[in-house]
Amino acid sequence: MSEVAIEVNGIWKKFHKGELHDSLRDLIPQVTRRILGRGPKRGELDEGDFWALEDVSFSVDRGEAMGIIGANGAGKSTMLKVLTRILRPNRGNFRVYGSVSALIEVSAGFHPDLTGRENIYLNGAIIGMKKREIDRKLEEIIDFSGIESFVDTPVKRYSSGMQARLGFSVMAHMEPEVLLVDEVLSVGDVAFRAKCVERMLNLIESGVCVVFVSHRLEEVKRLCDRCLVLEAGGVRFDGEVEPACNEYLESLRSQTTRHEDAARRGFRSDAGRLVGLTLLDENGRRCSETRSHSPVTLAVSYELSRELSKVGMVVGFHRADGSRITNCDTILDGQALPGTIGKHTVNLRINGLPFGAGDYLVSLRLFDLEADKTIDQHDRRYPLPVDGAGDGRHAIDLDHAWSYGASGAALEAKIGESG
Amino acid sequence: MTTSTARERADLVPSARRVDEFVAEAPRHSMMTDAVEIVRELWQYRELLQQLTRRDIKIRYKQAVMGFGWAIFMPAMVVLAGLVVKYVMAQFSGRPLEMQSIASVVVKSLPWAFFVGAIGFATSSMIGNKNLVAKIYFPREVFPLSSTLAQTFDSSIGAAALVLALPFLGVRLSVELLWVPLLLALLFLFTVAMGLLLSCGNLFFRDVKYLVSVFLTFGIFFTPVFFEPEVLGTLGSQLIMLNPLAPIFEGIRLSVVEQHNLLIPLSGTSAAGASVTIWNPWYLVYSGILATVGLVVSSLLFHRLEFLYAEYI
Repeated sequence: MSEVAIEVNGIWKKFHKGELHDSLRDLIPQVTRRILGRGPKRGELDEGDFWALEDVSFSVDRGEAMGIIGANGAGKSTMLKVLTRILRPNRGNFRVYGSVSALIEVSAGFHPDLTGRENIYLNGAIIGMKKREIDRKLEEIIDFSGIESFVDTPVKRYSSGMQARLGFSVMAHMEPEVLLVDEVLSVGDVAFRAKCVERMLNLIESGVCVVFVSHRLEEVKRLCDRCLVLEAGGVRFDGEVEPACNEYLESLRSQTTRHEDAARRGFRSDAGRLVGLTLLDENGRRCSETRSHSPVTLAVSYELSRELSKVGMVVGFHRADGSRITNCDTILDGQALPGTIGKHTVNLRINGLPFGAGDYLVSLRLFDLEADKTIDQHDRRYPLPVDGAGDGRHAIDLDHAWSYGASGAALEAKIGESG
Repeated sequence: MTTSTARERADLVPSARRVDEFVAEAPRHSMMTDAVEIVRELWQYRELLQQLTRRDIKIRYKQAVMGFGWAIFMPAMVVLAGLVVKYVMAQFSGRPLEMQSIASVVVKSLPWAFFVGAIGFATSSMIGNKNLVAKIYFPREVFPLSSTLAQTFDSSIGAAALVLALPFLGVRLSVELLWVPLLLALLFLFTVAMGLLLSCGNLFFRDVKYLVSVFLTFGIFFTPVFFEPEVLGTLGSQLIMLNPLAPIFEGIRLSVVEQHNLLIPLSGTSAAGASVTIWNPWYLVYSGILATVGLVVSSLLFHRLEFLYAEYI
């Protein structure tokens, strides 16, 4: 049995491109039209308007963590701002059961001239904590932030990381029933981030309903049970996290293809095109996935319509969220690719792929080095699923072994096997 | 597994919870419901108002050598300017500069300094807290309010100094001093009303900030601070009383310096020998009505436009 915490019914939110009112010259006719009842009604689009959110509906239960993912401008932050009542939707309604807190920008409420301690009280009050509550938790907050010795220094002398840590520490000590989080976990160093994720998991477990906006699929996968994919203001997918992430990557891919098609018509060289990529296993057979540390060959084909003297290629490897891991580059490697007219296939052999289990993406880019132009580019288009080592959270899995002492003897006991 | 334990625990939490419902096209609230909502929200966020006021007080003189000395220095400068004006006027009329007219300038300068300071800070209060307005929800009234409250604290320091100085300027204790709290309350209400209106206006149109600074610079010519209304003659003295601040300032002067009961009209003769109304109890009623109506109108306006702030700031 579950209790609903947030219920959103058909939210529409309109934004205006460019300045809202460039000048009185625009404002006055607009207002007069509205008064005379000739202008567009409130729920409709005027010239230059667009829907940032289009008929978005969902509901979240207590103790449930829902992620919202989507490309830039898909409406994620707008949705969150509607839920926090900062923006009012043009159509639709929503209900929130229980007290709401928003983790939006952790150091938004800081005043640079006040000390860390003073800012804790100020920020606490801004996010709706009572003074008594802050008094009680002060030690804990300072402790969590890990900046004890600077707590009486004005915040303007803090590094940006320290500010963010202090900000998050205050926020982490709220006790809301509904928590809205907008990409704040990206603060601080790795250790601090782990602490933040830990804290969020605790909150979720204690029955708080969390709505979490992020670009980092890893974090969404870690924290959320459910995920909403927004695309151009509408809901593209609502359901389990795994398929949601795939759906999101798919939407990114189709978007980049569209961008590329547009770009290709422009400044690109018209000397040829990339045809495609095939994965080959160690025996030279086509395969659709590979394993950690096993050899794999990427066979890239391209076609040239003109003879070129110098052709170069870069093969890029990315994590599923699009971040780049590494490149293989013929130019850096001092290799020359065939430049005669016709179709060519080049093999890139990787002796032991050091990637942990997970989904990766491959980019291809073909250059005409003489003219210094890109011939063709397939950005993050080819999936490279890797099976094997790791828990799916680490991109790199080092080829490694443990041993004991100077002799280098193997460790004896194994987890799960010892007495 | 994690999820199921979370659910089980969630069910242990008592379900008597707050439910907030928001609809896009809110049904038109009556003014009364809006007023109740404003008060309720401010009460709910009273600790925030307190914290922001403390912040505004603290940061005002941070990294300033004189610190709170500035709270005395600023009104003192206004007083000095007023004394120069009084001295020049005395020279022209050929009468000596009396202690009483020095006291008049002093008691009116401080409220004027309060008004100028509070309006100046309140007008830019929302723009100055842009990232809060655009990111976190709470009643935005706290911004102009905390600026005004911080200025109130500031002016109280000056007022304390003033109280110590008054006996030396020949001011005696009298029953009429009881008018002062009422007059100051009116001044405060009027300042809050203007602060709400102007901070909201400045959010939409940055022109407001410039208009305000022009008005605050030249307002002293249209407000009886350095002079008494009767020097303007019969018509002039009545016109200047249309300035809602004028009856408040004149009320302070008459009750403190002249020990005059504000319920009783007072008239005198101008330099030209014509009869001039110096005080009429209706002046006070006029200011009172303006301050209250102004406060109601500006807070309703402020509240009803609140949902646009994050978009327009």
